[in-house]
Amino acid sequence: MSASGRTRSAAAPLARRRVLAGMAAGAATLAAGGCARGDSTSAQPGTTSISNDNATWDDGYRAAGRELEKITGYALRPLSNPSVTSYQQVVQMTLQTSKATDLVKWASGYQLKRLARAGGLTDLSGVWGKYQAKGWVRGASRDAVSYRGKVYGIPLYESYYVLFYSKPVFEKLGLSEPRSWDELLHCAEVLKRNKITPFLASQVGGWPAIEWFQELVTKVDPRFYQKLVAGEASYTDDPAREAMDIWHDFMRKGWMTSPDFDQARGPGALKAGTVGMFLHGTWQAQGMTAAGMKPGADYGAFILPTVRSATPKSVIAESGVFTVPARASSHDAALANVGSWLAPPVQRVWSDFLQDSSANPTVRSDNPVVAELQRDVAKERRIPLIRYWEASPPSLIQGNTNDLGGFMAGQTSPETTLRRMQERAQDEWAAWRRDEA
Amino acid sequence: MSTSTTDRPATGGSRRTPPVGGDPRPAERHAWIGRRERLTAGGFMAPSVLLVAVFLLAPFVWTIHRSFFADTRTSPFSWFDNYTRFASDPALTRSIQNTLLWVVGTVVLPFVLGLAIACMTDATRFSRLARLCVVLPYALSGSAVAVVWNFMLTTDGAVNQVLTSVGLDSFAQGWLLTWPGNTLVMILANAWQATGVAVILFLVGLQSIPPETLEAGSLDGAGSWQQFRHIVLPQLKPVSIIVIGMSLVNGLKSFDLIWVLTQGGPGRATETLAVSMYNETFLELRPGAGAAIAVVLTVIVLAASWLYLRRQLDVKGE
Repeated sequence: MSASGRTRSAAAPLARRRVLAGMAAGAATLAAGGCARGDSTSAQPGTTSISNDNATWDDGYRAAGRELEKITGYALRPLSNPSVTSYQQVVQMTLQTSKATDLVKWASGYQLKRLARAGGLTDLSGVWGKYQAKGWVRGASRDAVSYRGKVYGIPLYESYYVLFYSKPVFEKLGLSEPRSWDELLHCAEVLKRNKITPFLASQVGGWPAIEWFQELVTKVDPRFYQKLVAGEASYTDDPAREAMDIWHDFMRKGWMTSPDFDQARGPGALKAGTVGMFLHGTWQAQGMTAAGMKPGADYGAFILPTVRSATPKSVIAESGVFTVPARASSHDAALANVGSWLAPPVQRVWSDFLQDSSANPTVRSDNPVVAELQRDVAKERRIPLIRYWEASPPSLIQGNTNDLGGFMAGQTSPETTLRRMQERAQDEWAAWRRDEA
Repeated sequence: MSTSTTDRPATGGSRRTPPVGGDPRPAERHAWIGRRERLTAGGFMAPSVLLVAVFLLAPFVWTIHRSFFADTRTSPFSWFDNYTRFASDPALTRSIQNTLLWVVGTVVLPFVLGLAIACMTDATRFSRLARLCVVLPYALSGSAVAVVWNFMLTTDGAVNQVLTSVGLDSFAQGWLLTWPGNTLVMILANAWQATGVAVILFLVGLQSIPPETLEAGSLDGAGSWQQFRHIVLPQLKPVSIIVIGMSLVNGLKSFDLIWVLTQGGPGRATETLAVSMYNETFLELRPGAGAAIAVVLTVIVLAASWLYLRRQLDVKGE
């Protein structure tokens, strides 16, 4: 080679071509690998995959999956995407592909109806019928998991919206769990006097802005709330105005945290005694434990009292669901697992993990605070109301949630906020009904 | 310019035209070589052109197409309905205002601060350390910067705590809650990060200035300010064009900092067009409206870049 310059000059391009060819082949292999089906959602013997937007629940799914495996032969394999926004996009996109997971965690109500309307979900009416015959589901929940008469979701859990409070702080200030609206106001006044912000209210992350709205409207008039979210009442009607005025008054009195207070800090704030009461779903009980608080000893919870004693009692219930994509990798295994999900042995483990109430009414929560709430809901015959987030068409809820966030930040008055919400409601309900027609 | 344009084909043509009365075979050979060269060039360009066409142009054309269809289930053709929302939707009006604020803020602040810091640290004793401090934030991701600023700007965050501890309680406020303050503090946070790259570019520019020009100015009796104004600044023009051009585009596409700090809220008050596009498409589930915003944003970015660069290049060409 070194003997001839010609050989040397010819060898260089040859070597370069080889390198380039090698690189091209490598790139093609990588591209092919990238386009190939990922392992995560492909069928794996003895398991069913679950799309999940809450990574802290993964251990719970695995534990419940071990019980399911004893019944169906299939364990659960959670695949988590902790960002709610990207989770929704990923799920909606993958439902149209062959990469859909076997089970998908989703919200109930109109969120589920919209997903079902787009197609790609399995009809679970048969599974629901079997559960109902055994008394493992509440018949009243059927509408929240149905679209056009067919069931598309099996309840994953059932949470109530309640006010958590710190027992040591309440005891120190001589306060007891409020049973009436006046007692609630008294608690707030005492807490405020002692430099404790009475209520946690937040709009960080968007959706928490609905919490106080739904809670106050339902405690002013639960029947009105039902009509409102069904598009049969106006946001500018008196009960909605009254609820917003109460909220506005609470904010002006300094009874609520700043709207940029992150709810993730709620349990810590309760423990530290900087916040008096924390309105949230009972699934937050797990967060209380993580903050080192013992149920019944360090924290308690109660459902917000009605504004007037004659108002019917109600409770906001949130229920996530399991759906089964029609193109699930292990469709039969997925159906077997949703068919046994509400079995008491599985729910016992799941409810213990969540420290929340099970969607199966025969399973009592292990958490004494939640168990007491379950008793209260049954004893007081509280009207179960669907959470605002799932109660109306998603575009309407998203827009109204933004408006409520603006109201919390003091950008708009109660009247302006409600007027905007109503204008949007008219447009979005018309669009939804047009689509349905 | 027109002269040079007409010159070019003539030069090329003379090279490709076969000599009169010459042997035709060399001409054929030339043509064959020319074709081969063009084919080879095309072959090398093809992958890039294909990638740009598939991943950039095709989605862009599809986005324009989608923007003319409604967001109902059947998605009928709706003419310019998605575009008329810019006039009727207060959230989009606010989004345009915010985008303009961002453009002004991200152009002016990094430019002025970058130039000032570069000039001040170019010849000082602690210049390396000072430069490092300013440039370091540029190495951080936008999301990480947003998380850090979130700790500072929330109502019970570091800024308000400091203000309260020094007795300035009256200045403590919800920095991220009220408009336009929330947008302005986010622009400041962005400037904190973006100034670093402007400093680097200006330092490169400063170091390329021939010292003789400054010495000549000094001998002519020019003071420091006069030297800066009439000698340094004109020679920094090429760098300034790059800094302003980059800042302009960064301002128009600002997203990550806003998304992590406020998600465009509260009440969509801090959205820019990029955030509105995301919000409409993925949260409010209106892909047609989101596509219309994307088209408008693209037109603004292209128009601003073209107008700016055309002007600058003309100036440079004179």
